[in-house]
Amino acid sequence: MPKTPSPEAHTFYVDTRFQRLARRPGGVPREVALESAQNNIDQSKPEFESWLDAELQNLATVVRNAEAGMAESGWLEDVGFRSRQLRDLGTTMGFVLLTFVANNLCEILDATPAGHASDMETITCHLDALFLARQEQYRHMRLEEVPELTKGLRLVKETVSISPDVAPK
Amino acid sequence: MANTPINLRDLVILVADPSPYLCMLVHGILRGFGANKLLEVRHSFGVLETLVGQKIDILLCDSRLPPHGGLQLTRAIRRNTENENRTMPILIMSSDTREATITGARDVGANMVLAKPLSPASIYDRLAWVAFHPRQFIDTETYFGPDRRFKIEGYAGGVGRRKGDKVVEVAEEVGPTLAQDDIDSLFSASRTG
Repeated sequence: MPKTPSPEAHTFYVDTRFQRLARRPGGVPREVALESAQNNIDQSKPEFESWLDAELQNLATVVRNAEAGMAESGWLEDVGFRSRQLRDLGTTMGFVLLTFVANNLCEILDATPAGHASDMETITCHLDALFLARQEQYRHMRLEEVPELTKGLRLVKETVSISPDVAPK
Repeated sequence: MANTPINLRDLVILVADPSPYLCMLVHGILRGFGANKLLEVRHSFGVLETLVGQKIDILLCDSRLPPHGGLQLTRAIRRNTENENRTMPILIMSSDTREATITGARDVGANMVLAKPLSPASIYDRLAWVAFHPRQFIDTETYFGPDRRFKIEGYAGGVGRRKGDKVVEVAEEVGPTLAQDDIDSLFSASRTG
């Protein structure tokens, strides 16, 4: 049986300023635009690496304080925020493995219900993996080139997700 | 579409993401595309304040923008009848590109989803799509935003839900059309340029 049509919807076209101006002559051709954007990314890579080193140290400090029982409230959210940053930036800046490790950790943290304790061992092993991924020899590696690392971390994620203390995702 | 240049000069582009470094990265990419008026904010309050103060031409917004999230923010922008920016293009940036997330973004009125990690190619292509493929806006009791139907494949049950919908007989394709894979790629994860 066909569905009953819903109340009338008002439909209209909007010629937004974005569309009007973006269609003007004189735009940057795609190839030129991509090359220019990539040049900007490449130029920012030295600065990114400094930022990355600082971020990893900050993350390590937060985790170590938590291990020592000296964590501030909200430390886990801090870990989550920093991990998401690393995940979001890694691949774009040439650190594919970094994104993989950070993403794995993000998924574990997101799957942990609020109020449940997080497994410190899981977090610290990911932290070690992030430092590993930061090293120059791992920088351009594809995931299939480090199967032990990737499989191991995926297994950790699966194990954590079926733990009786953690609700499944 | 792929070869048509887009002109971003003098367009006011607002990037909303909690990560200052990511905002800087996106600005660098957009400057490479020729953009020269770039703003950034870290949270949804910043977006709302900016929208009150000035005209924004396009918003790139993280799906987890604190404290409300990018989807809730998008819904609020679309539902605010007082704001002149309510029809501006909104692109949601998200690392979660599961179908539920894509559908959620679409259903709050976002134009497109940009998969994180971002690539210059994915950003350029989506901006070009928004520029050169305008969609009509739909205003109902429950939805305000761009038409969520990209490709008419016929209606479930043979009858559309809108009053103006007619019975659609979908003919065989006889010429070049945008392949479903191409449409899907505009929404699905694209982690490489």
